[in-house]
Amino acid sequence: MSFSSACLRAERRERLAAAMAAESIDVLVVAGNPWRSDYLRYAADLAPLCGQVFALVDREGQVQVVAEHPVEAKRFQAEQPELRVSWSNSPIEEIEGAIRVLSRRRVALAPITAVPYRLATGPLASTLAGATALMDRLMLRKSPAEIDAVRRAASLADEGYAVFREAARAGRPEYELVAEVEAFFRSRGCPENFQILGSGGREVRGMHPPGERRLAEGDLVTTELTPCVDGYYAQICRTLVLGRPSEAQLRAFSVYDDALAAGIAAVRPGATAREVARAQNEVFRRHGMGEYVTSEYTRVRGHGLGLYVDGRPAVLEDVELVLEPEMTLVVHPNTYHPEAGYVVHGDSVRVTVEGCEVLTRTPRKLFSAGAG
Amino acid sequence: MRRGLISWSREEVPAPVLEARVAKVQDRMRAEGLGAVLVYTSFARPGAVAWLTHFVPYWNEALLLVPQSGATVLLAAFSKRMHGWVTGVSHVGEVQPVSQLGRSAAKLIAERVSAAAPVAALELDALPWPVAEPLSAALGPRLVDATALFASIRQPADETEVRLAQRAVGIAAKALDAVPPGPERASQVLAAIERSARLDGAEEVVPRIAPDLAKGTALLRAEGEMPLGERHALELSVAYKGTWARAARCFAAQEPPSWSKARRWLAEWATQITSVSPPPPPGNIAFWSLEACIGGEPWSVVASAIGPRGTVAAGTLASFSIQLQLADGPWLGAGTVVVGGERPGRLLA
Repeated sequence: MSFSSACLRAERRERLAAAMAAESIDVLVVAGNPWRSDYLRYAADLAPLCGQVFALVDREGQVQVVAEHPVEAKRFQAEQPELRVSWSNSPIEEIEGAIRVLSRRRVALAPITAVPYRLATGPLASTLAGATALMDRLMLRKSPAEIDAVRRAASLADEGYAVFREAARAGRPEYELVAEVEAFFRSRGCPENFQILGSGGREVRGMHPPGERRLAEGDLVTTELTPCVDGYYAQICRTLVLGRPSEAQLRAFSVYDDALAAGIAAVRPGATAREVARAQNEVFRRHGMGEYVTSEYTRVRGHGLGLYVDGRPAVLEDVELVLEPEMTLVVHPNTYHPEAGYVVHGDSVRVTVEGCEVLTRTPRKLFSAGAG
Repeated sequence: MRRGLISWSREEVPAPVLEARVAKVQDRMRAEGLGAVLVYTSFARPGAVAWLTHFVPYWNEALLLVPQSGATVLLAAFSKRMHGWVTGVSHVGEVQPVSQLGRSAAKLIAERVSAAAPVAALELDALPWPVAEPLSAALGPRLVDATALFASIRQPADETEVRLAQRAVGIAAKALDAVPPGPERASQVLAAIERSARLDGAEEVVPRIAPDLAKGTALLRAEGEMPLGERHALELSVAYKGTWARAARCFAAQEPPSWSKARRWLAEWATQITSVSPPPPPGNIAFWSLEACIGGEPWSVVASAIGPRGTVAAGTLASFSIQLQLADGPWLGAGTVVVGGERPGRLLA
């Protein structure tokens, strides 16, 4: 456990306790699993590798944990000796029993995304929305220590992209590129990364986990890299060409570069996620590419970053969430281009009092990498 | 999130094998009068849908509808442009990209399943609330649990699955061999195994490390830097095409003599893991557990020294973890076995 991670844990616990006090919650029951561990990480600094995990977080500081696997329970206990940890093959039943014991206290349940059906239909059902909203508010605006973690993750993303560029050579299968990046991240103590990629030409409509396709000269090779430092993610999206970029590829790239600049320029306190999405999409519309910013071709124009890889807000033209200082997000006008194929281009940013700070530093260019 | 090689090899996992697994479910559904079975999948619970269709979500979620007869339908919370990728890596009758799994499944059931027939969801109690709530609202008491039904047909493993596990074990062993001599930090070890396993085609690699056996035997996640003691242990879980295997190895600058005895004992014990009279260990057994895929999770504990001791069917593909307290300190082991019955089991190596 690093010093920074321990500080983050203590700080989050303090902020959560204050929020619970403000809402008159004595005990918060937080559910998580390897897919949605963000709320659990915030409340109890737990990052499950397998199985369901529940934490009963007392406002006074005690935390009781129920894990589904004995090896995980032993790990949590070793990581945080102050926790009261047990394991059960039936963790939902176990946590129900623990909640029953708290009958005289005010207990709430979170988050909506990870709470299992049986708990959500139990006596705490009415608390689910409120407790999730409480935690969402805490997780949206970052503390200075959280910003520092996102900043370190962004720096690692930059380095990771340099490794990716170096690894990209004609003849290599896609999955080997990810192997090189993962080895690099592990060498830096980074245990988690969200990464997808794409390779090929105009036929490529998106990114996916690495497959067996071998890179070829002239390919556009796209990736989004999202390493995690002390639990916090930052993301970079870039596109490279194997060999010299064609005129069509360069022409296409300039649209994405303009869109990214426009999106980042729109990030400021008081702006909405809609405005950030619209700023990017308008660039495509000006180039007659309006259809390529619809859901037929793309998903979002960016998203929040923090303890979850794809957090709030979704940067879309129908999302009215207002940006505030110390929110962190990635802005990425990733979509299909009819002359070039799928192109990605994105940077992690922090909302500041005046506007925003771009956290990733990799040059915004259409990179050229070894053609073998 | 899943970021290793995801691809469907028709040679390694023939479509008829997947169809036979779905047919097993459908046979039981007919016997129990179920109109459909719903199987949820996510990064955290990929086991059941991967076994039935070869689909493994790298992130996000999906819900598989298995009708009483005919082809399966995968409702996938992926954007439309991912449709080609999903169909390329899985064997399903139909893929529908949807934004809300529960609501879409309720609509599909209304269209395609007899209004009188119960619908069973695997691990209903554990379904995420946003998925379960619309199903519960639409189906009411028709929505029942399919956990026992699924567990009853999930094991023993077929030869296809055992071969995939064998490959995963091979990837894990090679990765452990790639650990550099005399490492000082966990990151050196983990970088070497990640690189080896992923270059070898692993779909996922989940290492846990006990960095200093003199201080403790807990297997940690290794976030940030972690100095290694003179004796340390590494446990490695590897997925290959939807099938998981586990291995572990202890490392020491100067290996104590008891470790080779422990390894020899383990190889024998693993083949008799559920026997009432296994070979006596060369020390005390501090902990052991046996995990198998019987539902959505890659592994559920099916037997343990400190928990359930259920009956494990012969032929079950399972992974074990064990900790021995030897005369000269602790020792950790893990492996993957085909559980024996009247005859000894098979340790995959």
